[in-house]
Amino acid sequence: MLSFIFIIMTYVLTVDPIIKLALAAIGLAVDVVAFSTKLYMSFFIPFMQMKGRNAVIDDTEPFTLAPSGNAIVVRKGSDIFASAFIKIPAYRSSTEMNAEEKVDFSRLFSRALTISKVPVKFGAQLYVINKDAYISNIKNKLDEAEGRYQSASVSKDVPKSESERIRGEVTMWHNLFDNVNKVRSQSLDAFAMVTAQGGSEEEATNLAVQQADELASGVSAVFGVTASIIEGEEILKYLEPDYMIPLATVSEQMRESHASEMT
Amino acid sequence: MDEQTIIYLGATIAMVVLVIANASSFGIFGALAVALAIVTAMIIVILNYADFVLFPVFTSMFGIKITPAKGYYIPKSSNSVVKYVNGLYYATGYLSANVYSYVFTAESIDESEEQKLGEAPDKWERIVMNAGFPFRFNIISMAEDVQRYRDELQGMRGTFEFRLSKEESSSSPSQLTIDDLNKKMSIIDARINRLSSGERPVDAVMYIESTAVGVSEKDAEDALTNQLNHLQTLFNSFDLSITRVMGREVYHLFTFNYSLPEHEYLLQTFTLQK
Repeated sequence: MLSFIFIIMTYVLTVDPIIKLALAAIGLAVDVVAFSTKLYMSFFIPFMQMKGRNAVIDDTEPFTLAPSGNAIVVRKGSDIFASAFIKIPAYRSSTEMNAEEKVDFSRLFSRALTISKVPVKFGAQLYVINKDAYISNIKNKLDEAEGRYQSASVSKDVPKSESERIRGEVTMWHNLFDNVNKVRSQSLDAFAMVTAQGGSEEEATNLAVQQADELASGVSAVFGVTASIIEGEEILKYLEPDYMIPLATVSEQMRESHASEMT
Repeated sequence: MDEQTIIYLGATIAMVVLVIANASSFGIFGALAVALAIVTAMIIVILNYADFVLFPVFTSMFGIKITPAKGYYIPKSSNSVVKYVNGLYYATGYLSANVYSYVFTAESIDESEEQKLGEAPDKWERIVMNAGFPFRFNIISMAEDVQRYRDELQGMRGTFEFRLSKEESSSSPSQLTIDDLNKKMSIIDARINRLSSGERPVDAVMYIESTAVGVSEKDAEDALTNQLNHLQTLFNSFDLSITRVMGREVYHLFTFNYSLPEHEYLLQTFTLQK
């Protein structure tokens, strides 16, 4: 509209041509900005308020976990959204299917997409398994076995056969500890996500969980599995990049890559 | 192209036409006004069709970093979202991946579709086995208004029927055109039959997301580029058109991890895979 006003002024005003040109230039610039709003609405205000070279669209946490633990809450200005996730345990491998079953499975996938009236995100995620607890457990067992072996070695009361048995145990935990770090274990999960808007956190969460329940029933019926709502910390696996690649695994991977570069 | 884009394009190009039409009143600056108008039209067309090129050029040129949320930033190259945590950089990037032909098969009358469908699970498993790094395949699907879609289809069918009868009754009918129109009508019939069997029409946005880690931003971004290139190679077995997502769409896809937009917003933001 503003662009139109400037350009119409070049028609109706009888002024110097240079002023007309300036009006036309402003009109055309506004025209480009007007068109850009279609694509760049989210960026205009952050770019205008930019300090240095950092355009901040949002400086708050991208989400918070709902108190009920079964959804995440996202605030966009005064709007409150909640998203709930469901896990789809479709563990069938194509190697177990015959040709007809493979075609049917692909069709089921197609059918699953049409289940919900509201926007749904279906995802298949390959991620690195967090082996921190497992590794820590093995390390503790190794330390304990090493301690016992040292005590057995210095004690005259422990028979030699028992000492040898403990030494074997130490070797076993050592081998397991070395091997578990060598291989990066991965897992594939299928999941779906729905979002609902509400007047309050509680309302949005309830609506999202209700939609997720409906979706879970539909998906369960289509695939013949028991889809369930994901709760608690497990949700983070589908949101945070550092949960997709756990820190301990990364550190170990980097240590190995560094070691291989040295050799 | 959706209706809103047509309106935006029409209205903004109309301004350009108004300036060109009035060029004579600019006196000696007439040629300059026309040149400005042409440049404006070019910028608008480029914005419409290739904003994924312009946006990264703009942010790279001015070194602009975008913060989409606390703890995350989009570097000036505008091709990933980076998170810095525990002294490590996690870079997440996106690829567009339209697997439409595998998803809505009954709309196609191609007989090889059955074979493609049968091979799809095997291909998918091979991709998963060979990836060796984290990635996520996402489909955002949205059901359409069934009645409106049915009306649209019937309208299209009527048009094709009219063109077919016109072609058949012409003095020199082209067999190629007749075959083409028959094929299009069969596709529409297949869609109508699917609606009758209770299925809903859907719009979909499909994309692949991968995350790489590094001790520096560059390290993480380089690893991410390698991973995305590798994924492109792996997904080639599906015979898909896969391109890396750049610019503003990186921000939008990042936000979809936390909340899904409404149908209308998606229609405005992306060219949907109908």
